[in-house]
Amino acid sequence: MYVNMQPFLFHSPTKILIGPDTALSIAEIISELNAKTPLIITDSNLRKAGIVEGIISAIKQANLPIHIFDQVPPDSDLESVEKAVQIAKQNHCDIIIAIGGGSVIDTAKVANIGISLSANALDYEGVNTITCKLMPLIAIPTTAGTGSEVSAVAVIKDKKQKSKLLFGSPFLFPDIAILDPQLLISLPPKLTAACGLDALTHSIEALSALTANYISDGLSLNSMLLMFKHLLTTIKDGSNIDTRLATLVASTMAGLAFTNAGVGIVHALSHTIGSRYGTHHGLTNAVFLPYGMQFNLDVAKAKYALAWRSLAAQEMEKYLGNESAITKYIKANKSEADEKEAAQHFINIVKIFIQECGISINLKSIGITNLKDEDILELANIASTDPAIMFNPKEASVQEIAKIIREAY
Amino acid sequence: MSIFASSKDLINTLCSLWEAIKTNHEMSKQLIESKLIVQFRYRDPEGLLTVDCSDGNDMKIIVGKTSIKPIIEMSMKADVAHEFWLGKVNMPMAIIMGKVQAKGPVPKALALLPVLKPAFEIYPNIFKQVNKKT
Ligand SMILES: NC(=O)c1ccc[n+]([C@@H]2O[C@H](COP(=O)([O-])OP(=O)(O)OC[C@H]3O[C@@H](n4cnc5c(N)ncnc54)[C@H](O)[C@@H]3O)[C@@H](O)[C@H]2O)c1
Ligand SMILES: [Fe+2]
Repeated sequence: MYVNMQPFLFHSPTKILIGPDTALSIAEIISELNAKTPLIITDSNLRKAGIVEGIISAIKQANLPIHIFDQVPPDSDLESVEKAVQIAKQNHCDIIIAIGGGSVIDTAKVANIGISLSANALDYEGVNTITCKLMPLIAIPTTAGTGSEVSAVAVIKDKKQKSKLLFGSPFLFPDIAILDPQLLISLPPKLTAACGLDALTHSIEALSALTANYISDGLSLNSMLLMFKHLLTTIKDGSNIDTRLATLVASTMAGLAFTNAGVGIVHALSHTIGSRYGTHHGLTNAVFLPYGMQFNLDVAKAKYALAWRSLAAQEMEKYLGNESAITKYIKANKSEADEKEAAQHFINIVKIFIQECGISINLKSIGITNLKDEDILELANIASTDPAIMFNPKEASVQEIAKIIREAY
Repeated sequence: MSIFASSKDLINTLCSLWEAIKTNHEMSKQLIESKLIVQFRYRDPEGLLTVDCSDGNDMKIIVGKTSIKPIIEMSMKADVAHEFWLGKVNMPMAIIMGKVQAKGPVPKALALLPVLKPAFEIYPNIFKQVNKKT
């Protein structure tokens, strides 16, 4: 129970369409939004893999013109945003359809600022700076992780300034999100794992965030349970539509939770390391997650205990089998523990889960070697002012953040 | 009804606060080192205040319109600013609720928060002094 809870706002204006082949109803959705000239934003890998083609032909069949920008790089940048803006302006596009992972969706969100406000998107860097509705945006995720399809934020690199730009505004929520698991079948196991663990980090950080609330908690807990039940199967068999759908919905639920409750220290560290070393966002989160949780344990123990008890109440063997390390750990530790012990069990099981997903929880394993103490302090300094850290339930000094980096190294 | 009776009271209060911050060696040193230009835009009642540390030597406090381009712009209701300087604003909540707008590089704005914390202690007196005169 929350005691003396401050008033809170739960904002979730995105209409969400869910199910196999739902992306093929794109033409109807465009017409519902009274638009006629779509701009598709995607990346070249997805194009090559043929993921976008079904959607393109559905639009063509409805006799709508199509303009495409398919050059979004991973961790997109301002240059890509500008190119997308140019294409939209030249062709008088009146709706954006983003088909891809977080990099594509974030590019579409920031391009939408440039297109709709006829402005340099950079002038809207920051939070709550946009004051009017933008052009409609349909987000069709091809990864299950970022939750960007239902979030009010976008992060874009400024290569010239070597920095990451944050945009946060209720006007950045996509109008419609289409969760079509067919589009994720080709997502390789490693990315499936890394993205799934990004979503798990969203749910765990949102659950323990300073601004967590009853609604976000419900979404966080259910998202976490779905990931524990279905991510490992999805990594092993990417063509299983049922588990693809479950993990995709889980990632959207975690997106709804964190966009309303915030994230925390793990994301602050992951943004800092990702920006410096170009490591994948979800993978970097996975490495830091157990260490960040351990740091937060004393203030987050009630929430972690709640998560452990929810997990321990599930019949995990039904989903993972009796021989799974997850099932075994839960069976061995299920008997009622006090809050602190239950919370520690949750951190332990998260650690086991990440390892079962094939990820080693140290920075060296993701290619970060040769970290000297002065590098660690510099990184800790940067992480200490990352916007994500504002929502962490426990204040962290630069020295404490540096300690977490040392532990994760 | 705002805690400030007029724009004049708002500006007088915040100018006095910033003058006090300027004379506090610990705070002003770190602000000047940041070389930031921060503009505060208030509404209900209105007020515009720019703190310019860009030359790395001095801190200039400018009231009203200026041609100086800020690096960070913070906009909020005057009452939210009052609560902030009392140390009572839950910043993440204020951002989620849309009560505070921060334009520009948010990490730079966040880096200032711990620097300005000692000002929370001097603000109540400054507020009392300025607002009893009017
Ligand atoms: N806005 C938000 O709310 C939010 C939240 C978290 C992360 N992010 C951002 O999202 C980005 C990461 O996004 P991501 O993890 O989705 O990865 P991504 O979009 O960077 O894609 C990673 C790679 O996966 C490939 N890929 C994507 N879908 C595929 C599919 N179905 N089949 C085969 N290959 C596929 C892409 O082509 C790309 O090469 C980061 O920039 C991060 O900052 C945004
Ligand atoms: Fe994330």
